Amino acid sequence: MLDRRTMMLILSAGAIMSADAQSLNHLDPRTPRTKDGKPNLTAPAPRLNGKPDLSGLWQAARTPDREYTGVLGNDFTAIQIDLQDINKNVLNVFWGLKPEDEPLRPEGAAIYKLHQENPLGYPHAQCLPDGVPADMFVMTFKMIQAPQETVLLTELASPGRQIYTDGRPLPKDPNPSWMGYSVGKWEGDTFVVDTIGLNDRGWLDAFGHPRSEQMHMTERYHRRDFGHMDLEFTFNDPKYYTRPFGLKASLKLIPDSDLLEYVCSENEKDRKHLGK
Amino acid sequence: MKMRGLVLFAFALCVHAQWLNYPDPRTPRIKDGKPNLAAPAPRLNGRPDFSGLWEADATPRSELDPVLGHGFFDLQIDVPNLSKYMINLLWDFKPEEDPSRPEALALVKQRSESTKESLPGSQCLPNTIPLTPLILPFKIIQAPREIVVLFEHYDPPRQIYMDGRTLPKDLEPSWMGYSVGKWQGDSLVVESAGFNGKTWLDAAGHPRSESARMVERYHRRDFGHMDIELTVDDPTYYKRPFTVKLPFHLIPDSDVLEAVCAENEKDRIHVVN
Repeated sequence: MLDRRTMMLILSAGAIMSADAQSLNHLDPRTPRTKDGKPNLTAPAPRLNGKPDLSGLWQAARTPDREYTGVLGNDFTAIQIDLQDINKNVLNVFWGLKPEDEPLRPEGAAIYKLHQENPLGYPHAQCLPDGVPADMFVMTFKMIQAPQETVLLTELASPGRQIYTDGRPLPKDPNPSWMGYSVGKWEGDTFVVDTIGLNDRGWLDAFGHPRSEQMHMTERYHRRDFGHMDLEFTFNDPKYYTRPFGLKASLKLIPDSDLLEYVCSENEKDRKHLGK
Repeated sequence: MKMRGLVLFAFALCVHAQWLNYPDPRTPRIKDGKPNLAAPAPRLNGRPDFSGLWEADATPRSELDPVLGHGFFDLQIDVPNLSKYMINLLWDFKPEEDPSRPEALALVKQRSESTKESLPGSQCLPNTIPLTPLILPFKIIQAPREIVVLFEHYDPPRQIYMDGRTLPKDLEPSWMGYSVGKWQGDSLVVESAGFNGKTWLDAAGHPRSESARMVERYHRRDFGHMDIELTVDDPTYYKRPFTVKLPFHLIPDSDVLEAVCAENEKDRIHVVN
């Protein structure tokens, strides 16, 4: 199943980033603080125009090493140096499920097999966008809540994502794209995002689970308090999968910081090794 | 000015994609339903709202042809509407007014003559500001504490902080720089610094050093029109700060197209580097 070369490539495409760049630190006066001046991550979630304000820099909970070694062997944590930057689901959206229990249709299984046989086709390794859900599982991502839309920016090469909140419906015949077309609405204090119009070139994970142009993704964001947010995905792709399936992620806020600029083609050294 | 054909993009976009059209109920309209581009600028929390999809005004061919030569547009098929400022940010300057230091002029000459030099954008790198927004449409999204700019190009999104912070003193050089904005009446004044030294200010190859600072003054004249008065202060390459007024127009009811450079990228093997 797992090809080690794929894993090695996961975060090595393009430039290497230095984490926690000092120059991005900004003591935000709006960050609630405890007496000692540290951010109070359990303070109530901020609100904007009567709804929770999801704006901020977020990071998905990291997976303990033993979860990786239990499945992929001890070698894995030794060669994959970027584990602190990812979550297990960027490798496999079906993590923890026996392969025979994965709800792949034969059409989906065939594409999955193709991807497994050609791990260098992983879009990330070619400076192509990762998209959902990897955008939320690698490095950090930033949400910015504006009156007519919420913008989601990543530390990957993904184009900035626009989630329209002006009440428009999903388009009937969207042109397939890497990031798709997203609209968001509030259900109580939960922000619900529906996305269609995805191309079939994106991989759901590094293992190569495919997505078709019929994919309809739903994300539900619930900010529990200042420092924590629950994110629940539902993937519904009747062309490649027998049933809708889900994923949950626990997000924590990175206060007083911001996204690092990432330009994949800069200092890009992989391409010539990829046989392209 | 002698110019080769410009390699502006490493990929081709189809313009005015139908599927992004969305008749925005907030767009003011005249009787026949067309957007009223001369309506007053919208406002948000007591300030002008710059949100929307913008594009640089095209310069009339009558002004471009004498400089570029009549054959230029036969070769340059990908941009039917060129802004002169994209070609040369100092287009309006008479030779005796040119603030360029000899070092800058030498780089411009080298970049126009050498086949080893090419615009960063032709190598899937950002053309960054001010060049990218002079070539392709870009979207401004005005949120309460910052303004986001998305480009129809593979430039990383730009964040302009509006929360009162000042420019940090010791910035890590980056393609897009670090930007803070404030209001002066109805003008949005954006200060930027922290650019890396790799970017070109224009297709002619006017350079920018790491010590450059820029000030943009945004003024939305009405619903459909905006000026950005850009001042570049870069003592490494220019004898004095210089200012250029750049006109833009709104593209109503539309949006930025997704731009992914590495997709279907065919230029790299043809660009000598």
